[in-house]
Amino acid sequence: MSFADNVLAGLALVANLESILALAVGICVGVVAGAIPGLSATMAVALTLPFTFALAPLTGILLLLGVYKGGIFGGSIPAILIKTPGTPASSATILDGAPMAAQGKAGKALGMALYASCTADLISNLSLILFAGWLASFALNFGPPEFFTLMVFSLTIIAGVSGESLMKGVLAAILGLFLATIGLDLVYGTDRFVLGEPNLMGGLNFIAVLIGLFAIPEILTMIFLPREAGGQKRELGGNWVTFAEYKSCFRTIVRGSFIGVLLGSIPGIGAAPAAFLSYSEARRNSPNKENFGKGEMEGVAASEAGNNGVAGATLIPLLALGIPGDVITAIIIGAFMIHGLQPGPMMFVSNVDLIYGLLIGLVMSSVILLGVGSVAIRAFRFVADIPRGVLFPGVLILCVYGGYAVNNSVFDVGVMFAMGWVGFMMLRFGIPAAPFLIAFILGPLLENNFRQAMLMSDGSPGILFRGPITWFFWALTLITITTVIRSGLKARAARRKLHGSDFANHRRGTP
Amino acid sequence: MKFNVTGAFGATVLALVGSAALADYPERQIDMIIPYGPGGATDISARAIAEPLSTAVGRPLIMTNRAGAGGAIGSVAVQNAAPDGYKMLFARVGSHTVSPAMKETLPYGLEDFRFVGVYEINPVACAVAANSDIQSMDDLVAKIEAEPGSVRFSSSGVGTLLHIAGAMVLSEFGVENPLEDAVHIPLGGGGEAATAVLNGTATFVCTNTSALANFVANGQLRPLMVTTAEPVEGFDAPTSADLGKPALEQLVGWTGIAGPADLPDDIADAWAGWLGEAVQNDKFRDQMETMGSVIRLMPPEESQEFINNQYEVFRNLVEELDMRVEG
Repeated sequence: MSFADNVLAGLALVANLESILALAVGICVGVVAGAIPGLSATMAVALTLPFTFALAPLTGILLLLGVYKGGIFGGSIPAILIKTPGTPASSATILDGAPMAAQGKAGKALGMALYASCTADLISNLSLILFAGWLASFALNFGPPEFFTLMVFSLTIIAGVSGESLMKGVLAAILGLFLATIGLDLVYGTDRFVLGEPNLMGGLNFIAVLIGLFAIPEILTMIFLPREAGGQKRELGGNWVTFAEYKSCFRTIVRGSFIGVLLGSIPGIGAAPAAFLSYSEARRNSPNKENFGKGEMEGVAASEAGNNGVAGATLIPLLALGIPGDVITAIIIGAFMIHGLQPGPMMFVSNVDLIYGLLIGLVMSSVILLGVGSVAIRAFRFVADIPRGVLFPGVLILCVYGGYAVNNSVFDVGVMFAMGWVGFMMLRFGIPAAPFLIAFILGPLLENNFRQAMLMSDGSPGILFRGPITWFFWALTLITITTVIRSGLKARAARRKLHGSDFANHRRGTP
Repeated sequence: MKFNVTGAFGATVLALVGSAALADYPERQIDMIIPYGPGGATDISARAIAEPLSTAVGRPLIMTNRAGAGGAIGSVAVQNAAPDGYKMLFARVGSHTVSPAMKETLPYGLEDFRFVGVYEINPVACAVAANSDIQSMDDLVAKIEAEPGSVRFSSSGVGTLLHIAGAMVLSEFGVENPLEDAVHIPLGGGGEAATAVLNGTATFVCTNTSALANFVANGQLRPLMVTTAEPVEGFDAPTSADLGKPALEQLVGWTGIAGPADLPDDIADAWAGWLGEAVQNDKFRDQMETMGSVIRLMPPEESQEFINNQYEVFRNLVEELDMRVEG
């Protein structure tokens, strides 16, 4: 089939009311869910998954992608209005969005967030269309040794998502790796940590763990520490973004988009680091650096471009290699598999019409996001007014439903609540959940690919350096680790200097 | 005395209720457990027969996926169910002959189930990448004997049909230690097992023809043989009969329906009748046959015998090659 045939076949799949409706509904759900703190984009996608079982493959996947994209944008609304990120990805948006709202320019901040999100989304989707095809043919060079090195590199990302303490991040990652070993051993078929419970033979259900780790702790916090769960709301205020303002931020938006695309196409990074990197680059290149953090519109544009640039690009490894770029795409892979589709190089051969349908749907999603977002910004304050005492019981019911529906198993609901307590304790002790989740997803891939590679080479580690792809990922791993160590040393030195001068001041102040 | 009277009365009531339930079976909807995830071969087969089957039963069939551990989790759910015919299982070659033959710690055995009918047979084919220099089974065996360890075969995991198929085929073709001279590479699923042959991770794979048909049609994989006596459409390869290996005809996939071991005769007979009606459905036949399945209904006794035979064949192979998974 020629390119034109593929596009037409894809168009035939997308150009119906059902697909467009799925996208629009998904984006609406995503924006609403993303905007409710504690109901992150990840959770919204996980909760939407069971609803896609009954839909046609493309419709179901477009629904999930709509929720994903809507959720990433939606997270910026509470980040700006009440200084609480709706999703982890929008934590960078707080830096300048919240001060803008305090100055009565919330309207401008929200508008810029929306325009930056939509522009980045479009750039990201176009990148996917242009590069995913190339990556797909390249992907057939990925055997177990290549995947193993890729997983090793992806695990270094934990350093980027650990927050303030790398030690706590590593602790979370180790816990994730450990829990991922439960189930049947791939190579010997023997039980591991099953404890005689047949339900554990299949391992811990990923979605149950996910809902438990992210949603339940929010609810537990609400129950046991209601004071900490508070928050205030400000006036929408101000007027809309002018075209001149958009134009002045355009360079920053494009730069942020490409940072998002780059980081998004590498599995395991996700949207939050992209937003922060884009933000720091915008600040570095801006003439009014000092204003960053005090309500600079360009800062909002940079953060939102960074995190939405990731959304389309995470589909590059998903479609081309069959591997999830982040938690959300891990759930979306599940949706593919439920419909008997194996995302990966072969999908470009076996389901090319679906791929093109997906790509066309994605481009449409950028436009729909613009429309839905505009309405949402105006309407959202009222939804955010729903008292948490009413909201959270509803969320809890959805969690139980989501945990049960994946495998019709009450056991999974139990797993979900157990993980909820683990997540709550992690929250209390400031242990970040993201490294846990990355390790939980990547752990089995790391182990299985390593053992498959060892089977291939009869135990010789030389196979892990067998070609340019493996060398490339080893090099990236080395560079990342070096950077993490160097910045760690630098931060320590800076801290020492600061403490030193504090100490000096203190001494000078004392007679 | 009073206690005895009450007890006798209770027993009578229970007996009456019990026989009434059997006479009216089914008086409500029936739970059907699919022990594999949505979208897999078992799921597709089960959902395809669900509609004509529920018409025949006259009650709704509630299809539920209980996936995990190679079909074990769903199977355990039915093993422990009441033998009243309201919770039945879609049993599959992997969960009910390969796993029991290989896995020491499996929480169930064949004797824990009563099979009411096998309705579908899936031929197995072995294939190599299209650019491989291996043209026939003889080439494959010659290569293994010339350079032991140079040939790898992929499977969707330990204790799956693909695992035992690779070992059995090589063993039948005279490779003495198939699991030492050829390397078994377990992957995460059937799709990955096929992709592994495409990208050179594995040399060959033996699996259901339905899983390979697409790749064979696209000229990406070359079939070496099929394990049926009759040729399989779309597979330009010799049959096991052509190659003089009739024993390989035991190596086929199948899907059937089972209940707990104590399922009463009349319920089993009722299911045999319903399955007989359901497999006549043209839509169901078309759907399954386009995917490469052979619709063949076996009555309960024949199903039990077929499954026991296959189990014995696999069991002997597992003993012979020391493939048993313990612990």
